[in-house]
Amino acid sequence: MSELTFLWVLPLAGAAACLAAGAFGRRAAKVCALVFAAAFFVAALAALMPFIATHGVGLDAVGGAPLAFGVSYLLAADGLSLALILLTAFLNLICVISAWESDVSAAYWANFLALASALTGVFLARDLFLFYVFWEATLIPMFFIIGLWGSANRRHAAVKFFLFTFAGSVFMLLALIALVVAKHGQTGVWTWDLASLRGAPLGAAGPWIFLGLLLGFGVKIPVVPFHTWLPDAHTEAPAAGSVMLAGVMLKMGLYGLIRIALPLFPVYAQTWAPALAGLAALNAVYGALCAMAQTDLKRLVAYSSIAHLGFCLLGILSGAAQGVVGGGLQMINHGITTGALFLMVGFLYERAHKRGLADFGELANTAPWLSFFFGFSIFASIGLPGLNGFVGEFMCLSGISRSPIPMLDVPFFAVAGVVGVTLAAAYALPAYQAVFWAPKREGSVSGLVFDLNFREKAVLWALCGLMLWIGLAPAGWLALLEPSLRGLIQ
Amino acid sequence: MNILAPQAALAAGVLGALGLGLFKRPPALYARALALAAPLAALWLLKSTLPGVMAPLVSADMKGLCWQVVIFAGALPLAFLSSGDDVEAALFLGSVLGMSLLAVAGNLIMLFVGLEFMSLPAYLLVARAGEGDPRLRLEAAVKYFFAGALGGALFLLGLALYYAETRTFGPTLAPLGLQGQAGAALMAAGALFKIGAVPLHWWLPDVYSAAAPEVTGFLATSMKAAAVLFLMRIVELAPNAAFASALPGLGALTALVGAFMALRQQRLQRLLAYLSLSHAGLLVIGVGAWAALGRAPAAAAALLFYLGADALMSNGSFAFLKASGVSTRAELRGYAARAPGAAAAFAVLLFALAGIPPTGGFVAELLIFWQAIHAGLAVPIVLGAVAAIVSLGYCLGLVRDLYFEEASGPAPVEGGAPARIAVLVCALGTLALGAAPLLLRGLTGSVWP
Repeated sequence: MSELTFLWVLPLAGAAACLAAGAFGRRAAKVCALVFAAAFFVAALAALMPFIATHGVGLDAVGGAPLAFGVSYLLAADGLSLALILLTAFLNLICVISAWESDVSAAYWANFLALASALTGVFLARDLFLFYVFWEATLIPMFFIIGLWGSANRRHAAVKFFLFTFAGSVFMLLALIALVVAKHGQTGVWTWDLASLRGAPLGAAGPWIFLGLLLGFGVKIPVVPFHTWLPDAHTEAPAAGSVMLAGVMLKMGLYGLIRIALPLFPVYAQTWAPALAGLAALNAVYGALCAMAQTDLKRLVAYSSIAHLGFCLLGILSGAAQGVVGGGLQMINHGITTGALFLMVGFLYERAHKRGLADFGELANTAPWLSFFFGFSIFASIGLPGLNGFVGEFMCLSGISRSPIPMLDVPFFAVAGVVGVTLAAAYALPAYQAVFWAPKREGSVSGLVFDLNFREKAVLWALCGLMLWIGLAPAGWLALLEPSLRGLIQ
Repeated sequence: MNILAPQAALAAGVLGALGLGLFKRPPALYARALALAAPLAALWLLKSTLPGVMAPLVSADMKGLCWQVVIFAGALPLAFLSSGDDVEAALFLGSVLGMSLLAVAGNLIMLFVGLEFMSLPAYLLVARAGEGDPRLRLEAAVKYFFAGALGGALFLLGLALYYAETRTFGPTLAPLGLQGQAGAALMAAGALFKIGAVPLHWWLPDVYSAAAPEVTGFLATSMKAAAVLFLMRIVELAPNAAFASALPGLGALTALVGAFMALRQQRLQRLLAYLSLSHAGLLVIGVGAWAALGRAPAAAAALLFYLGADALMSNGSFAFLKASGVSTRAELRGYAARAPGAAAAFAVLLFALAGIPPTGGFVAELLIFWQAIHAGLAVPIVLGAVAAIVSLGYCLGLVRDLYFEEASGPAPVEGGAPARIAVLVCALGTLALGAAPLLLRGLTGSVWP
């Protein structure tokens, strides 16, 4: 088994092992999940080593004899894939540790590991059939995570989440098939290999195919107006589920855009860019405005994701090296920061069973550590210099303002981005203030909230340490992302 | 091996089952064994059967042989779940015999014989097999009979018109004139009746929801496979069968009607019946694509794969109804807590029916979409995709009932171990078919593409 196959098979084997260990009790399943999550993280780190040793040149690719239907088992990992797999493995481990005390069945852990496996497959696949299979396979574990372990409205949210994504991806599937058929018309060979599908003669079908891909990826990002599944799914999912949803699954859409849609359609990527960037700017501003209106802390964080993903999209669409790499880095940043925020909202909810902004107050007195970490993450999220969000957002905005694509370098987009940044402060800081610093109101449940224990602090130290690391010294991360992103977009 | 060997095995099975009637009290074990052994023997004989012709009545081409595999395989769950009644066994085997005769029919007369031979026992099977109040089943059987008779009559009328112009009961190389076209269209209408394509579908939901679940599974798989081949044979009659260009539109309409009608159903068997109708629509689109691509073998292979996957998915889901005794969505609530294994198998089947990877249902749907796009049928296939999204909506709803809701009320009466085994085998088979690109590796180049 090659190293890359091992990467996605390992967590899947872990899922099966958890189910089997469930026969020996819940604790056995939990320990099993921890062992496999840790092993997966180590494997992801190990996969990074040869990449660093060769300064990003050595790409480990797995090919094989073509299978039926023109499908081939093609895996490869470049910097972008490796960074996202590392994020997946890291957040997966964080999820397992953070949910350690919750009394859940073996299926819970199995679903998380299966999800990690499918996500890894998405980031590794270079054959579009394989890509689609992994893409859809991510939905099943998340559907069960939301539906079985979510909060009050979880049933509705789980179905909505699955249905929205599927509705987008069916059209993506049709677009992928049309692409394969078009290439077959040119060469007489059936192939789903991403690299050999470039330059297929599409004719009049071209815009429709591009639109199909955009629909599939756009629902996942999500781009306004296809975003309505996100607040429900993120709010109803259990805390660890929200971490994986916001931290990694939202990145699938952007990843698909970078890996498939934009490189295959370089012309449309330019001509459609102003319209798409308009939607991205709308995301950044509308998401922030929606977040301002929320009274539920978790829903607020969910809407802030829509805004953050708007920044990533702006950077990626800009076509300028700085913007594209910034967009890639912001994907990682958002995973870490929002992951931390969702975790802490989860800690609050575990203690007080409330999430409303008005339900708390003066928490800084009783839970100083929670207050510290929450403030840290909030500042990272709104882009305080010295923390990771600043680096990513700055690069995205500077990329869009010097975009080589006509119509994109107008000040409008950068200004919309700056408005988005300002609004971020306007929704995040009052929320932080209301929960942690403002005087308690009548009926406050702050008394129930005790401070973080060692396990919770350790998890948050890891996340906040990463925020600081990327904020102060992003060079290593940029070096990881830059070669692959440059190659893909330019 | 003689090309009619599988049919001979089935005919021997029919005669044997009828012979059991000589006993004062026919032993159930023998009837069961016969019902299972005859299709298995036919499958085994099929392995060494080569394409051949016995002019003018029999002509077994590769398609006819491959289709028989799916027909026999689709019939196995019903054989496995048979009640042990000797008459039912004879009816069942007779129907399968009719299907396999239809598959190797060399001309239109033989095609008609096959059609009637597979249909008549099926009407009786619907009326007779099953437990509980027989009145609903009788009503459904009568409805089925009249629909079948109407379809048969349309076919015969078309046959007369076709013969009047071409003076042959077989395919013609000359382009058809107006009369021949009308004849072909009427014969196709007979086939579409059997498939249940809109607007000739009105009998299907009632029959599928009133018959015993395992019988419905048989109708939705083997019978549907035979009907699809029937339609393809009529497309093959002439180089310019005009009705074929209407098939994608009809198929898309069928897929949409099936998907939307299933939305409001509370009774599971009726819901699955409409889902089956929706799948039939996709198959009709596939036949249209096959015709538009100049009857490409790859398109036929896609249809065959779809029918093969459906033989597992549909049989499995109807067998679940028998195994669990669940009949309404309300009874399905919280079922996973009562029977985790059966619930997991049903969930796999539901995801497969909705076309979610990594299941065989996804590969099947993909292949049909693929052929349709290859044939340039953009609009029908987008409508088919919309139907797929709607279908997913209630398939997810059922999984939600299974897993996310609390059980209430008394537990339904379970249907016994054989049914549970059938569900499990079908679910595992469906999962295995999801790895089709790997499994069918050896066939690359010969069958595909």
